Amino acid sequence: MLGLGGGTILVPLLIFLLGVPIHIASGASIVAVVATSSAAAISYVRDEMTNMRLGMFLELATTLGAVTGAFLVSVVSESTLRVIFGLSLLYASGTMYLQSRRMERSWAHRPNDALADRLELGGSYFDSTRNETITYGVGNTPKTMVVSYFAGIVSGLLGIGGGGIKVPAMNSIAGIPMKVAVATSNFMIGVTAAASAFVYLRHGYCNAFVTAPVVLGALLGAFVGARLIRHVRGVDIKRMFVFILLVLGLRMILSGVWLV
Amino acid sequence: MTSVEKMEVLISNVLKVGVILSAVLILLGLTILVATGDTSYPQGVMDIDWLIWGDPFFSPSHIIFLGFLTLIATPVMRIAASIVVYLKMNDRSFATITALVLIILIVSFTLGIG
Repeated sequence: MLGLGGGTILVPLLIFLLGVPIHIASGASIVAVVATSSAAAISYVRDEMTNMRLGMFLELATTLGAVTGAFLVSVVSESTLRVIFGLSLLYASGTMYLQSRRMERSWAHRPNDALADRLELGGSYFDSTRNETITYGVGNTPKTMVVSYFAGIVSGLLGIGGGGIKVPAMNSIAGIPMKVAVATSNFMIGVTAAASAFVYLRHGYCNAFVTAPVVLGALLGAFVGARLIRHVRGVDIKRMFVFILLVLGLRMILSGVWLV
Repeated sequence: MTSVEKMEVLISNVLKVGVILSAVLILLGLTILVATGDTSYPQGVMDIDWLIWGDPFFSPSHIIFLGFLTLIATPVMRIAASIVVYLKMNDRSFATITALVLIILIVSFTLGIG
């Protein structure tokens, strides 16, 4: 429901609760992320909640970033990366918190900028909690593209979907509604996660006994979440995000320091 | 239906087929595994080599593994489908963008990185 894929919750759960080795846990989680993304997108796309044009355009940046990230692994130490990533999540959490207090709507309207105009990136969707069709533009396209590139690097490095960075970026920088940001991020995650999942699969980290139940569970959860989002207000999703980003950021930094 | 709506339905259907097919494969494999009572932890790794040349040649785990592969292929098929649609819509810029994404993705597959 939050466009996150849920890998960040699954991995620690498998490791600490069930005592699964970390590689197997990550392998199960990344396949589950592909499952969540595809399953949720089935209904998001039909609801026109997903902005496919924006999603496919930004995928250009995230996939390039993922390839860059994979090359960077050998250059930068993982602990440094975790700390940097953690700090950026805390920053995102802070900005979103300030925004959620300042305004009633979960997003600030921005008109299409020149690039978005040429590629016709703006869109509209029907919000059932507000009972109105919401039309929005996409602003700051180049800046959003740069942030998406970094989100791609992070996901390539850490083997995660990177929704925690993409959703706040699309919402605060490009100025698109929270629900559209969530659905579009979810849409993009499938592609980056598929690349990572294939690597895990090739190296034999996808144990059938662990992965199969996890994937089936994730599919079920994704269907429920994609239906729930219609009935939740954008501002509330934003508040949930503030909390999740805070927890994730702290966890990242702690695990980074731990590795040193 | 407008061409955009047609595209949404097509993409949604591509995802639906992929997800359902993989879920069926995984569920089938898991059911056979439990039914035959062979729930012991498999020895060795399950990777692409094992899938093709492994011994035994075919097992419930193979079905589950095929399910995983189907799942991973789903987003890739989605991109491939969108290239075709954009070409049909005469949307050159987006056909190029999605084709580039597919190329980058395939490069990352072959490099063995993600």
